[in-house]
Amino acid sequence: MTEFLGYVRPDGSVGIRNYVLLLSGTLYANKICDYISGIVPNTISITHPLGRCQVRPDLRMTRRFLSNSGMNPNIAAVVVVDHFREEGCTAEDIAGDIQQATGKPVATVNIRGSGGFVNAMSQALHYAADYARMVSDFRREPVPVSKLLMGVECGTSDTTSGLASNPSTGICSDLVIAEGGRTIMAECTEWMGCEHWLTSRAETPEIAAQIVAGVQDIERRAMASGEDIRGSQPTGDNIVGGLTTIEEKSMGAVKKGGSAPIVGYLEIAERPTSAKPGLYLMYGPGHGGESLSSMAAAGCQVLVFNTGGGHTSAHPIMPTIKITGNAHSFELMKDTVELDVSGVLRGEFTIEASGQRVFDEVIATCNGRLTKSETFGDLNSFAIHRVGISI
Amino acid sequence: MKKVFVVEKADNVGTAVGEVIKAGETVGAEGRITQLEVVVNADIPYGHKVAIRPIAKGEQVMKYGLSIGTAIEDIRVGDHVHIHNVESNRGRGDKFEAEPDCAE
Repeated sequence: MTEFLGYVRPDGSVGIRNYVLLLSGTLYANKICDYISGIVPNTISITHPLGRCQVRPDLRMTRRFLSNSGMNPNIAAVVVVDHFREEGCTAEDIAGDIQQATGKPVATVNIRGSGGFVNAMSQALHYAADYARMVSDFRREPVPVSKLLMGVECGTSDTTSGLASNPSTGICSDLVIAEGGRTIMAECTEWMGCEHWLTSRAETPEIAAQIVAGVQDIERRAMASGEDIRGSQPTGDNIVGGLTTIEEKSMGAVKKGGSAPIVGYLEIAERPTSAKPGLYLMYGPGHGGESLSSMAAAGCQVLVFNTGGGHTSAHPIMPTIKITGNAHSFELMKDTVELDVSGVLRGEFTIEASGQRVFDEVIATCNGRLTKSETFGDLNSFAIHRVGISI
Repeated sequence: MKKVFVVEKADNVGTAVGEVIKAGETVGAEGRITQLEVVVNADIPYGHKVAIRPIAKGEQVMKYGLSIGTAIEDIRVGDHVHIHNVESNRGRGDKFEAEPDCAE
């Protein structure tokens, strides 16, 4: 049995980081969150342009992304900052969600309610400083890999993604699941064209039907625009890399989900209620930031990101390990990409050995090893999915 | 000899995963198919595909043992296979009328 060293939370979940989160409820609170996280050690901020003038389904989406991000086990305590009280998505609503689900300490600051920006800064700083000191007493302890919920993702894919990095991550996913852990794969745009690969592994007919319905829904949303989806999927950089169609991209992409049974289907940013080991599929778009954020909101502590062209994608609260099968991209992007698995294509090592290397990197990261993106704080990939317009 | 990578036996394309392959060069294969020699008709950039079997117009282009799209012209052994001679079978909003509420 493999173990890792994590922070056990009041709800029994296990974090691999121990952050105090400055969570912005709205565009107008972003600056305070960024300022405070620049001042107080072991704090991190989540900021975004939403939370105002959204249609109701989008406001609910924003609340789910924000509340569920606060519930992520990598977060020890939360300070929610907002300005106007957007009914249905206030700081108090978000704080209540987090507290109720996890029991972790949560404070709220309202800019107007505290008497303006300067007073709100002071109040947020007080909360963040107190929490930072409190959580600095928390210690890592050994826990089994069954406590792990891992996300898998790919971005700026090229042909090597489907041949080397995604299959390696798929084997890593199978290893996590064999130890009793869970994996989430999202981006249902990229299941398009290989649904039967997935439905054949679904544990129940209901899950198989949900997979098909998810792809149909995202395909319908794309076609309803009257456009040929090829303009955006595969993307221009995918095509330069040698990927011809969405089907080809999908087959390569789906390899990152390995070969384990599919035991659940999740709505976007939904937290799985089952602890059953296996692969969970999540509805969502191919947009990397939204996809990563939906998996972090679901509670993934760590994510493996496969890239062909090289990528800087990294989520603020979910360490993002980057893998490439393209040796040239690794040379160009080795300050942000952790592993080069291009040796698979040159016959230097097997895909199984490569998958074990990815697994070892995941465990080291869970134990506290910083990702390359964490070392310089380029944690750029928080984004909230939208279904409607601003109003 | 330079090599292309063939994922499954049913595939009719291989992928250039080493140096750029130049028109006129003979390449071999790695992966599920290794007994193969193909004379390449065009430069094949890194990561791009080359036909290892003839693919008639309208036939499926196979990689990972599955269709990745339809040939839109006759493809000869050794041809570069990409967006100029293959089209997707999925997500084709351009082939259908847009829904009225989304066509503004």
